[in-house]
Amino acid sequence: MLHDTTHITDRPVILSLAGLSKTFGTLKAVDDISLSIPEGEFLTIVGPSGSGKSTLVRILAGLEAPTSGDLFLRDTQITQSPANKRPTAMVFQSLALFDHRTVGQNIEFAMKMKGVPAADRRNRALELLQLVRLPEDYYSRPVTQCSGGERQRVALARAFASDPEILFFDEPLSAIDYRLRKTLEVELKELHQRTGRTFVYITHSLEEAMVMSDRIAIMQSGRIVQTGTPAEIYSAPVNRFVASFMGEVNILTLEKDTGGKQVFSEIGQPVQAARGAYAMIRPEALELGPGEITTQLTVTQRLMLGSRTQVHLVSELGATLISELPGTAPELDIGTTHPFSFSTEDIAWMDE
Amino acid sequence: MSQRSSPGPWFAAPVAIFMLVCFAAPIFIVAWYSLMPSRTFGLTGDLTLENYRSAVTDGYTRPLMWSLIGAATTTLATAILAWPTAVILHRYAGRWAAVASALIALPIFISESVRLFGMSVFMMPRGGILAGTMNAVFDIQIGSILNTWSAAQIGMIYIHLPFMLFPLLLGVSLIPADRIEAARDLGATRWQTFREVELPLAAPGLLIGMLLTFVLCLGANAEAAILGGRAVTVITAAIEQRFNYAQDWPMGAALTVIVILVTALIVLPVLSRLDLNRLTRR
Ligand SMILES: Nc1ncnc2c1ncn2[C@@H]1O[C@H](COP(=O)(O)OP(=O)(O)OP(=O)(O)O)[C@@H](O)[C@H]1O
Ligand SMILES: [Mg+2]
Repeated sequence: MLHDTTHITDRPVILSLAGLSKTFGTLKAVDDISLSIPEGEFLTIVGPSGSGKSTLVRILAGLEAPTSGDLFLRDTQITQSPANKRPTAMVFQSLALFDHRTVGQNIEFAMKMKGVPAADRRNRALELLQLVRLPEDYYSRPVTQCSGGERQRVALARAFASDPEILFFDEPLSAIDYRLRKTLEVELKELHQRTGRTFVYITHSLEEAMVMSDRIAIMQSGRIVQTGTPAEIYSAPVNRFVASFMGEVNILTLEKDTGGKQVFSEIGQPVQAARGAYAMIRPEALELGPGEITTQLTVTQRLMLGSRTQVHLVSELGATLISELPGTAPELDIGTTHPFSFSTEDIAWMDE
Repeated sequence: MSQRSSPGPWFAAPVAIFMLVCFAAPIFIVAWYSLMPSRTFGLTGDLTLENYRSAVTDGYTRPLMWSLIGAATTTLATAILAWPTAVILHRYAGRWAAVASALIALPIFISESVRLFGMSVFMMPRGGILAGTMNAVFDIQIGSILNTWSAAQIGMIYIHLPFMLFPLLLGVSLIPADRIEAARDLGATRWQTFREVELPLAAPGLLIGMLLTFVLCLGANAEAAILGGRAVTVITAAIEQRFNYAQDWPMGAALTVIVILVTALIVLPVLSRLDLNRLTRR
């Protein structure tokens, strides 16, 4: 059965973070974070290395105590309760599998701790093996004899075995090669829909976040700078940090020219009705040929992206821009100059 | 290239010869001696198992038992004391760990008898350091355990603690912190985490420490002599006595062989389960 995820914000809140902070010496690793996570949501926290993602999720899991702030599970304060008393489970970046045990023993660990009888544990472990798409005969295999992707699945099954209300993932896929990662991302998303559990996922790849999440929170230096659905973040990043995080985009700076008119300093073109200090224009919005705002650009690089072509361009003022065009764009030889244009409708405005 | 000859045996030869001369040969001589008639001093007598029979009938099982009890108790006690010490040194002591380790290791460089006599002075009744201080400062009169088995036992624990601690420190450092966190996260209590994760992961170090301590304790003599006042006779003392005062070399040899066999019986199964590769991180 698939759970409907469209009205997630109407669901009751399962986890609320109220002003959580964590300082290490003078460093504010987590800086006053408040957030409500509805039941059944797939929330992804994205941020560059060192932005405090792991620290935040470790606080949520009970592996680290916050310096200040509160954490509520539904209406119960759980800030002080230890990790083993929380109905949550974490999939670690290192996976942290028990290498001295078999796949089955790893999966059964949480049940064994609760005193579930061996036969029941085994049945549930076999079910979970199926859930994470591992063959049943892996049950008695030592985890040291599993491949990277299989270990990933074992870690996932082990987390599910404790029957957690919330699952935390701290970049579990970062050490996996691209193709397997794509497969596992989709499987994880399906698993989320099938089980209806709340997932809090951490990654430094916005692309990964876009694929899987109901909602994304973007972290920068210990703070959450923007939260929203993938579509919201995609179309309206709040600042240049978020915009540049999305990969290759064009960011133009507004300035007043000598006559007091607003112009883009990178291309020297005027613009009416600017609604911010910076403009983000996606590569696919920068089209070949004249249009609303037109500028002459010289091709410096041409890359084939399957059905599309990406060209790197340089303006007369020396700024580099990127455009993505359908087809092979045969006329765009390196060194040639062409008119390119974009319309004000395609601009995402940002203040900082 | 004319002929492929493996260099291995050549490099191993010096060590192999050394082991043969200094290790295998003496053991063989002792074993042979143990089969000689009682109170003879040659290796040419008729072979007999008489010494082994009288080892059992003449009550030598008692000293052996005391030695085994002493070794087992010491192994257990040092393990219990060393575990938290190792964990604290490894996880919390930071740069003080080296200083603390050095302080713990330092006594090894002082002669064992000197340290035991020091303890004996400490434990002495009335004028002893402990009893004297209690009397002078707190006006409390206490007895003394000097010259009892308990005193010998305490001495053994004190002497052998470093031999348990250092291998265990190595063992504890083999436990990755995230495994402990994972166990806690999956609902394990502190005790369950210890039993299910920390203990098995530190097992190589713990086992080496236990083997070292156990074997050293089986051969220990000074503690029972200096602190225990020979309240009980340990097997080493019995063997020494056979060779020296009693001038019964075959009997001493038979007891020695028995100790070697008992040691092997206990040590070999443990040794075969030991994964040395994990300890050296290969
Ligand atoms: N135990 C600690 N003691 C001191 N500083 C720490 C500790 N743990 C984390 N930090 C610091 O806090 C900051 C945030 O670390 P954190 O691991 O949460 O980042 P992250 O976003 O998970 O990064 P990454 O993507 O590299 O995993 C970093 O500057 C880190 O050095
Ligand atoms: Mg991290």
